[in-house]
Amino acid sequence: MDNDTTIKTENLSKAYRSFWGRKKILALDKLNIDIKKGEIFGLLGPNGSGKTTTLKLLLGLIFPTEGRALVLGKTTNDVDVKNRIGFLPEESCFYRFLNADEILDFYGQLFKISRKERKARIDRLIEQVGLGLARKRPLRQYSKGMLRRIGIAQALINDPDLIILDEPTSGLDPIGTRETKDIILALKERRKTVLLCSHLLSDVQDICDRVAILDKGKLQISGTIDELLSSKDVVEVLIRNLSDEAISEVETFIKERHGEVISVKNSSDTLEGLFLKIYAANINNSKTDV
Amino acid sequence: MQQILIIAKQTFKEAVRNKILFVFIILGLITICCSVFMPVVGDGREKIRIVESMCFRSITFFGTLAAILLSASSIPTDIENRVLCTITTKPVQRTNIVFGKIIGFIYIIGVLLIIMGGAGYALIKFTASKQSAQGNSKLLAREKFDPYTSQVTGESVRKIGNVSWVEGGGKGTSVWKFKGLHSKDRKDGLEIEIDFLVESKKRSTRKIPINIKAVNPYTAKVLTESIEVSRNKPGLLKLGSEFLEGGEELTIVVSPENPGDFIGISSNSIRVFFGNKSFEYNFLKGLTIISSQFLLMVIIAVLGSTFLSLPVNILFCLFIFFCGNITDFMRDLSTVINVFETHEHGHGISTVLKKTNVFVVFLDYVIRKPLFLLSYILPDLKNFSVGKYFVDGINIPYKTVFMSFGYAVLYAVFCLPISFVVFRRREIA
Repeated sequence: MDNDTTIKTENLSKAYRSFWGRKKILALDKLNIDIKKGEIFGLLGPNGSGKTTTLKLLLGLIFPTEGRALVLGKTTNDVDVKNRIGFLPEESCFYRFLNADEILDFYGQLFKISRKERKARIDRLIEQVGLGLARKRPLRQYSKGMLRRIGIAQALINDPDLIILDEPTSGLDPIGTRETKDIILALKERRKTVLLCSHLLSDVQDICDRVAILDKGKLQISGTIDELLSSKDVVEVLIRNLSDEAISEVETFIKERHGEVISVKNSSDTLEGLFLKIYAANINNSKTDV
Repeated sequence: MQQILIIAKQTFKEAVRNKILFVFIILGLITICCSVFMPVVGDGREKIRIVESMCFRSITFFGTLAAILLSASSIPTDIENRVLCTITTKPVQRTNIVFGKIIGFIYIIGVLLIIMGGAGYALIKFTASKQSAQGNSKLLAREKFDPYTSQVTGESVRKIGNVSWVEGGGKGTSVWKFKGLHSKDRKDGLEIEIDFLVESKKRSTRKIPINIKAVNPYTAKVLTESIEVSRNKPGLLKLGSEFLEGGEELTIVVSPENPGDFIGISSNSIRVFFGNKSFEYNFLKGLTIISSQFLLMVIIAVLGSTFLSLPVNILFCLFIFFCGNITDFMRDLSTVINVFETHEHGHGISTVLKKTNVFVVFLDYVIRKPLFLLSYILPDLKNFSVGKYFVDGINIPYKTVFMSFGYAVLYAVFCLPISFVVFRRREIA
């Protein structure tokens, strides 16, 4: 394993067994992936495809039946390597009787971070995930989105080199989703490696450098977004302020060159984009009112 | 170590904030306080006895229940709620998680013990002061002496189980020898308590007369008394402390007066009390022994929680708690089955069993042997029973305190490594 590789799996397999030891289901079948330092890697697949099983194997929560995984150059049973890993589980499960400050302090203490440093990090992370006003409320009063936010904060408390996120944007509103994506991109800028699982393909497409698609425990395909999605024989041109006549002329020009125009239509925004524009406009208005 | 304490603190905080701890404390306090209102037949000492007994039984019951329910549920609940899923991804050894949980439960049980013990002590003192104001009684912590040798002689002696039977009319006697009868507090003198099983050929007789001879081997001073004993009421003989002049030894000879009367003698049939110790120290010793039982139950519950689900683990712990209190009975039962099987006494059932070998094999392999084995593997919780000391007003010897604590530690030494190994290999999915 070279220095540039953060995660490497070799024939990683996991079979769940019944009470009597019989093989019940093969959750992961000979997975081989290689994740480089500083990249955002997306793990995609339908329910039961083996995404979460892969993450649990990488974190040493469960043990492989075959093959092995190296994380930051160490096996998954190595406790020291966990000092450099941050993990956001699929469901944000914490002690619900604690508040945001207390839960981050608890996890910070497990990393043996000094009191002063812990306090500084907690303040910064709570602001970063937008929980400043709710930091003293017990987690049992939090909404699902707020729990996701505190989950992201706890995953970053140790300033990890590898961040493993299971469905990071699940339950978040579009603003929260955007903020989370921004956090992930900021981590990439700091040469941190991010491995994320998501059902939300648009999120993955927005931020991931490379993706792997799993189905029934098997790796179906992997590569960069461009490699997987680009069609070499189809070109997309986005033009602003062009009259209908000019458009007809462009079409004619293309046909003369033996090209085929597949569709000509007005460009449309995504719903997420529209939502964010309205939100930004409201913030500006309220500032003007003040 | 730092991580262990962090997890311990968290475990304690969880019990406090979820208010589970207070539920047990409040229920325990209510039970303790109820003892004051219980009707009493007898003197002031009887009232104190009831309060002491209720106090220790409540602490033991609610403390054990708290120890079982909290420690049996913590790890399975954390796994089910996936809290452990997050914690185990942090740089924490799994052994530290188990250790931290155990220390946390010890904190919890400690708080419960302090609050309930404090309330119990206050109530006992209050009851005692009320009774002594009426000139009735005081708090007792009498020093008990066990015989260094006891002997049963005579033609009529027959041993069944742990009990030796002696017939009266000069056909048998039992001799008990005591030494080291020393006490700073000599004003109350010696008390000899005699508690025999009683049988008589005369079916209507419940009480039988027995002869007791107390001998000072140094001065050859002899005191002979005849008292009546019955199965439910122990006989009592009082001697002045001057009887022991010249030495600290005493010999007691007991035999039934009449032929056809039998006394059943076991190792603790005769007890000698001499001098009174501090009740406060005795109370603390009692609490120490109870806390050893709590520690033992915590260790067992945590062991179960590393591989069993929550309901199964609670059943497992309750089973151990129940069987741990009847290990003597289990041992006796396995002996009784053995007696039937080997036809020692020509009992009616054995004749039947002789003809049905399958049933004998079933009894032997499915019931008797497992029962016998279990009675030795399971912790004997009678070692932690302190109620009897307070009900009888007996000082708890330091040896008993150390033995019971050592017994709990021994189980911990055996169970903890198993817990660590099992939990390290457990998948937290």
